[in-house]
Amino acid sequence: MTRATVVAVGRLAVDYRLMIVLVAVSILGAVSVNDFVAFDTFQSVLNRATIVGLLALGLTPVLIARQIDLSVGSTLSMAGISTVMLQPMVGNVPAALLGLLVGVLIGAVNAAIVVWLRVSSLVTTLATLLIFASLALLLTGSRPVSSPDPRFGLGLTSELFVIFSPRSLLFVLAVVAMFVWLRYTPSGRRLYAVGSNPPAAASAGVNTNAYIASTFLISGLCSGAAGVIQALSTATGSPVAGAAMLIPAITAVVIGGTRLEGGRGSALATLGGVVALGALTAVLEFNGVPSYTQAIYTGLLLILLITLDRLVDGGGRKAVRTHGKTRAEVIPNPAVTRRKS
Amino acid sequence: MNARRRTTMFASAAVAAALLLSACAGDAEVTNEAEPAEPAEPAEASDQTICYITAANSHPYVTPANEGAQAAADAAGVELTIVSEEFSPQTGAEQLDSCVSRGVDGILLWPLDDNSYLPGLIRAEEEGIPVVAIDTTTGDESMELIQSFVGADKYDQGRISFDQLNEALNGEGGVIVLAGQAGNGTEIARSGGFMDALEASDSNLEILASVNADFDQQKALVASRDLLTRFGDQIDGVYAQDDTMAKGFQQALEESGLDISPVLIGINGERGAFESIKAGTQYSTIIQPPFRNGELAIETLIQVMNGEEVPAVVNLENTVVDESNVDDLEPAL
Amino acid sequence: MTQTIASPRARLREIVARLSVPGAIVVLLIIGSFVSPSFLSVGNLLNVLNANAAVGLVALGMTFVAVSGGLADLSVPANVAMGALITLGAQEAVGPIPAALLGFLVASLGGIINGLLIGYMRINPIIATLGTGFVLLGLSQLLVGGGIVYGEPSAIADAVSGSILGIPVFVWIFALTAAIMAPLLARTSFGRWTYAVGGNSVAAEASAVPVRFTKAAAFAMTGSLSGLCGVLIGLSNGQARPIIGTGYEFVAITAVVIGGTSLFGGNGSVLRTVGGVIAIALISNLIVLTGLPTQSTGLITGVIVITAVAVDVYFRRKEGRT
Repeated sequence: MTRATVVAVGRLAVDYRLMIVLVAVSILGAVSVNDFVAFDTFQSVLNRATIVGLLALGLTPVLIARQIDLSVGSTLSMAGISTVMLQPMVGNVPAALLGLLVGVLIGAVNAAIVVWLRVSSLVTTLATLLIFASLALLLTGSRPVSSPDPRFGLGLTSELFVIFSPRSLLFVLAVVAMFVWLRYTPSGRRLYAVGSNPPAAASAGVNTNAYIASTFLISGLCSGAAGVIQALSTATGSPVAGAAMLIPAITAVVIGGTRLEGGRGSALATLGGVVALGALTAVLEFNGVPSYTQAIYTGLLLILLITLDRLVDGGGRKAVRTHGKTRAEVIPNPAVTRRKS
Repeated sequence: MNARRRTTMFASAAVAAALLLSACAGDAEVTNEAEPAEPAEPAEASDQTICYITAANSHPYVTPANEGAQAAADAAGVELTIVSEEFSPQTGAEQLDSCVSRGVDGILLWPLDDNSYLPGLIRAEEEGIPVVAIDTTTGDESMELIQSFVGADKYDQGRISFDQLNEALNGEGGVIVLAGQAGNGTEIARSGGFMDALEASDSNLEILASVNADFDQQKALVASRDLLTRFGDQIDGVYAQDDTMAKGFQQALEESGLDISPVLIGINGERGAFESIKAGTQYSTIIQPPFRNGELAIETLIQVMNGEEVPAVVNLENTVVDESNVDDLEPAL
Repeated sequence: MTQTIASPRARLREIVARLSVPGAIVVLLIIGSFVSPSFLSVGNLLNVLNANAAVGLVALGMTFVAVSGGLADLSVPANVAMGALITLGAQEAVGPIPAALLGFLVASLGGIINGLLIGYMRINPIIATLGTGFVLLGLSQLLVGGGIVYGEPSAIADAVSGSILGIPVFVWIFALTAAIMAPLLARTSFGRWTYAVGGNSVAAEASAVPVRFTKAAAFAMTGSLSGLCGVLIGLSNGQARPIIGTGYEFVAITAVVIGGTSLFGGNGSVLRTVGGVIAIALISNLIVLTGLPTQSTGLITGVIVITAVAVDVYFRRKEGRT
C-alpha cells in the first residue's frame, strides 16, 4: 500500500516538477529578497532568459526527433558577428536578416551532413561546433566587433506591456508558435513519431529524413535569432558569446522535462525550464551567491530531477537502440506514440 | 489532449497568473536578513544598496578586489550584492539590466568590453543610478555615462613595460608578446601602451609574434612551447601582459632546454613573480594592488551616491618591481 | 567471426580501416617535414607528445566510455581541476605524495559517482556528467576560494617534470597507461563485456554480461584518469586554478572519434585513440609551425572529424553493416 502511494506521489512530483520548482524558487525569492515577487523581477528574468531560451527552444524539436545539436552556441556567435559586421555595409535591418540567414545556413550544413553523409548528429554537431567557433574567431581576429550604430538595438531590452520587453515578447511568441505546431498540427505530431520509432514512422510513409533535416534548420533559425538579438542588444558581435551558452540551454531543456532520448518534449515545458533556471539564477544572484555555488545548486537540481524522472518511469523506456521488428500495432497513431511530455 | 496534460497546463498558467497578481502587492514589506552586528565598525547604518558586477568570483586578481570592495562596504554600513560576469560581457550586460531593475542606489561595474553595457548604462542614467567602473575602462560612449573610473592605468603599464624591456635589451632584439584576451579592455590598453611607446621611440626592438593567451598560464605554456620551437634563440625579450602568463613561458622555456635567457617582463605583482625575480628568471613586474582597488572603488561610488564630486579618473599607483626592490616589497597576490 | 571468403571490397575496407589512422599520421609527418625544418627534430616531436600526453590520459578513459556506448563524459574538466587543486592544496597538510594520492582519489570518487548514476540508475550520460561536472567544479572553486593554489617544490614535482632517457616523464606515463589499457579492452573479459554492452546491451544482458557494472566502470575509469591528468599538470605547473581542465573533454572526444571509435559503442580500440591523440597533437603543432592562426585549429579538426567519420560510415554502409 505504502509503496503504491510513494510511487504515486513520485509520479505527481515528476509531472508537476516544473511547477514545484517555480513555486519553490518564488518562495525562496520572496523570503530572501526584498520585492522579489514583483512585475519588475518577472520582466527582468524573462528578458534575460530570452537568449538561452531561444537556444533551448530550437533544441526542443531536435531532441524530440532523437537528434542533438551541440552547435547552437557557435551558431549564435556566427549570427551575432555577421549581423554587426554587415551593419556598415547593408544597413541595420538587412544585416539582422542576414544574421538570421547565417543561422539557417549553419542549420542546413548540419542537416546535410546528418542526412546525406549519415554521420550521427552527436559527431556532426560536435564538429560544426568546433568549425564555426573557430571560424568566428578567425573572422573577427578574436576580438569582439563593435557596432557602428549602438542605439539601434537598444530598445530590445526596454519595458513593454509591463512584464515583457520586445525581445522577450518575441521569444514568448516563438514558444507559442512552436507549441501550436508540435501539438496541433499533423506535421508536429509526425515529428514525435519520427523521434520515438523511426522505422515504424518510415514504413508508414513519413519522410523521416525531411523531418530530421527540418529540425536542424529550425534549430539554426532559433540560434541565429538568439545571436542577432543578443548582438543588437549589446551592440557587440562577440565570437565567443555562444560558447558558454550551450550548457545552460541543454540544462534548461532537461529541467523542462524534454528527454534526450527522443520522442518526447514540449515547447511549453522548455519555456518552463528556461524560466525556472532564470528565476533560480536571479534569486541566487540577488542573494550574492557566488557563481560557483550557483553551479553546485544547478547541478544538484539537474541530477535530482533526472533521477526522480528515472525512478518514477522505471523500466518504461528501455533503450530502443536495437531496431527490433516493426510490430503491427505500432503503426504510428501519433496519439499513441506520443507520450505525455 | 489528455487530461493530465491539460491539468498541468492550466495549473502552470494558474501559478504564473498568481505570481503576477501577487506582484500587485509587490511593495509589501518582506523582511530582509539583518546585517550581522559589527561591534567595532563605525557603521552609520544607511539603507543604501550597491550592486557590484564583478569579473569573476574565483580569480587570483579579482577575488582580493572583491574582498576590498566588501570591506569598504561593511565599513560604510552599505549593503553590497556581488554578482559575477564570469568573464562574459554578455552576462555582465544582463546583470547590469537586472541591477537597474532592482532599483539599487549605486552600481559598481567591471567592464569587459567596449559596448555591451551601453543599454544598461543608459537605463541606469534614466533611473538616476550612479555607476562607477573598476579596473578596466570601456568604450567612449559608455564611459560618458559612468561617473568615475577607479583602477590602474593599464595603458601606462604597457608603456612602462616597454621602457623596462627596451632598457634591458639596449634597444635591440626580438620580442614576443603574450597578450591577454583579445578585445578585453586591459589587453587593449596594455598592448596599446606598449606599441605606442615602441613606435614613438627609436628602438630597434622587433616584435616576432604576438599571441593571445587569455591571461591563462596553461594557454601561455602551450603557446610558448610553439613559439620557442619557431623562433628559438631569436627571442631576446618576452612581454607577458600578466605574471601568470609569464610563468607559463618560464615553464615552456625550462622544458625546452634551450640555452637562452630572454628578458621576461610581467604585470600584476604575483607571489610567483616575486620569486622568479629573486631567482633571476623574470626581469620585472608591476604591482597594482587589487584589494585597494576594490576598496577605493566602493569608497568613490559611495561618495557619488552621497552627492559628492569625484574625479573622473582615480588611478592606483603603478609600482615597478625588479631585482633592486623585490626584497623590500610585498606581492599583491 | 571472420569469414573465410571475404569479398575484395570487405578486404579493402578492412585495410583502409586498419591503416587509416597510422596512414593519416604518416601523411601529417610528411606534410610537416616540408613545412618547417624544425618539425622532424626529436625535440619538436617529443614536445608534441609531451603537450598532449596529459589530455591523452583522459582520451584513453573516454575510449572505454565510447566503446560501452556511454557517449561522452562531460565532467572531465571538473575531475581534472579537482585532481590538480587537491594535489597542491593538501601538500602543506599531508605532504606532497599523500596529497597527490588524495587528489587522485577524490577525482576517482567523482568518476564512481558518475558510474553509479549512469550504470546503475541508468541516467542519460550526458545529463549525469553535466550535473556532476557542475557540482564538482563548483565545489573545487568553493574550496579554493578564488586564488591560485601554489605547490611547494618537491621531489615528486621535479620527477614529474623531468625526463627519463631523454623522454619526458609525462610521455612515459601516457605510454604505460596505454600499454595497460589496450589489452584490458582488447583481451580481457572486461573488455569483451565493454564491446558487448556497447554493441547491443539487450543481448549482452541476456548473455549474463554485467551490464551495469561495465557501464559504471567506464565512467569510473575516466574519472580516475582525469584526476591523474590533473595531478600531473598540477605538480608540473607548480600552481593550479579551477579552470585548468577546460576543454579537455572535447579534445578527448575528438581524439576518440578521429581514431575511428564510434561514440555509440561496439567498436574501436585504445590503440586507435592513441593514434587520434597523436594526430591531434601533430595538427596543432603544424598549425603553429606554418604560422596559421591558432584559432584555425577548431576549423581543421572539425573538418577532419567529419571526413573521417563520413568515410567510415560510407564503408560500413557499403558492407551492409549499418
